[in-house]
Amino acid sequence: MGPSVGLVLLFYFIPVILTFLIAFTDMGRTLIWRFIGLDNFARLFGVGSRDPLIPRILLNTIVYTLGALPLTIVGGLLIAVLSMRMRPSAGLFFRSVFFIPRAIPPVVWGFLWAWSFEGTRYGLFNAILAALGLPTVQWLIRYPMIIVILANGFLGISLAMLVFSAAIATIPQELTRAAEVDGASEGQVIRYVILPMLKWPILTMTAWHLMSFLNSYVYIMLITGGGPYYATEVWSLYAYHAAFTQYRYGYGASLVVLLVVVNVVLFLIILKAFGMQRMLTRGKIEV
Amino acid sequence: MAYKRGTKAIPYLILGFVAAPFLIMYVGFFLRAFGEKMVLGIIPAQWGIYNFRFLWQPITWGLEQTTMWTAFGNTMFFATLSGFIVTVICMLAGYALSRVEFRGRSFFLILQLVLHAVPGQILLIAVFFLLLYIGLLHRIPGVALARAALEIPLGVWMAKGFFDGIPWDVERAAMVDGCTRLQVWYKIFLPLVKPGIAAVFIWGFLFAWHDFIYVYTLLPGTIKVMATLIQSLLATEVIDYGYLAALSLIYSIPPLSLFIFLQRALLKVPIFGGKGT
Repeated sequence: MGPSVGLVLLFYFIPVILTFLIAFTDMGRTLIWRFIGLDNFARLFGVGSRDPLIPRILLNTIVYTLGALPLTIVGGLLIAVLSMRMRPSAGLFFRSVFFIPRAIPPVVWGFLWAWSFEGTRYGLFNAILAALGLPTVQWLIRYPMIIVILANGFLGISLAMLVFSAAIATIPQELTRAAEVDGASEGQVIRYVILPMLKWPILTMTAWHLMSFLNSYVYIMLITGGGPYYATEVWSLYAYHAAFTQYRYGYGASLVVLLVVVNVVLFLIILKAFGMQRMLTRGKIEV
Repeated sequence: MAYKRGTKAIPYLILGFVAAPFLIMYVGFFLRAFGEKMVLGIIPAQWGIYNFRFLWQPITWGLEQTTMWTAFGNTMFFATLSGFIVTVICMLAGYALSRVEFRGRSFFLILQLVLHAVPGQILLIAVFFLLLYIGLLHRIPGVALARAALEIPLGVWMAKGFFDGIPWDVERAAMVDGCTRLQVWYKIFLPLVKPGIAAVFIWGFLFAWHDFIYVYTLLPGTIKVMATLIQSLLATEVIDYGYLAALSLIYSIPPLSLFIFLQRALLKVPIFGGKGT
């Protein structure tokens, strides 16, 4: 018990507190603590010397989250429902294909996308286009946000699909059989029997992925690096870049503080909506 | 299932259509790794292992040089250490949560959920300073410790689930026969939860093996693990995609094989079926 609490304290609580402290300094390359009050936040909220990139970053974050979240939930549902209504071996095959993103390391997943959508004819899809005699496309320059949303969305799908499939597997056969005997079509069985039973998993997965998309930047960093020209720079990635490529740790930390505040508020809303007790008791069944 | 044959094809068509680009990507990846001269960009005219030359040659980019085996060894060390820390801590804490009623137990559970809402990757700036101040920055053990801390909240839940699956009676019988609580843990539980231990270890190992952002940020450029090595090669001017595909393939083999094993371990865990539910 002790070591667990200790390590969690050391690498969660102290970092949270440290982040808050650093956010009020102009910590830079020299690593000297100098408190400057609310200057970082004033800059963020556009008071005084404002950061001209903030509106762009905010918009990117919203577009990215609102794009990837529905893709994950709808895609996960589609794959889970359809694969569970097939022959078991075929269903397993499709679930394996869509689980691969999570089974391979992030760098490899990032490499796959960066290579597949490479702008020259050395990229996979451009090579296919060129082989068919079609003009090549500068994927990562023309559609960076769509690619980033797809790459992250299918990563979310790999988890959502598993959770939904597991939930579908617990639906008693009698229910779907009874509906079929009563003359329900395939679509009606899905709409009126299966989907209502998935209400809880859909809610948890939505909450889960809302948080994870809001905070994820690793795949964006690997595929586009936030570019071209800030087109895919989301809030968390901007914080990372501020700290570790521009060495403005103080400013980066203030960006993180805002993100943490948004996270905690969202988390409290979710807990309130779901009910703490249900979350605690159902938690261990889900994953 | 024999009736309504007509509609049965539709799920296959839809999923086939969605899966097609991914299948092309995966197959293309393999062809690229094993192909030497490419026809039309994607079809190999000649098979071979030239792309795997890093297995016996040093890897160079820019002015830097390393070998695949150094990076592979570093990754193995980092992941094993991280997995080991996760296992020991989660097993002890999971047992305590599952068996011992102490004050603040539910508070601790809620706390773990709250902690999960603030993921480690956005606390990286503070972790950087923390490791700097305790003198563990730029060292594999320090980064492994920080990485292990990320997996502990969920790992404890997982371990608790395994312990919940073992009926009280087994434990009570041992206590009646005169075992102390620590002896119960060591003599009765450990053998029963071996698959659980394997699962938690593999789980901690996998996340550390997959990790990119921690090692990229907190380790110096001179200590390369597989993830940062591949990223460095991707960031160079001239990218040899075949070479990188081969390197990525080698890097992906351990996690892919472990995932298969993890599923088996998870399936045969409890004595009376059901994972604590």
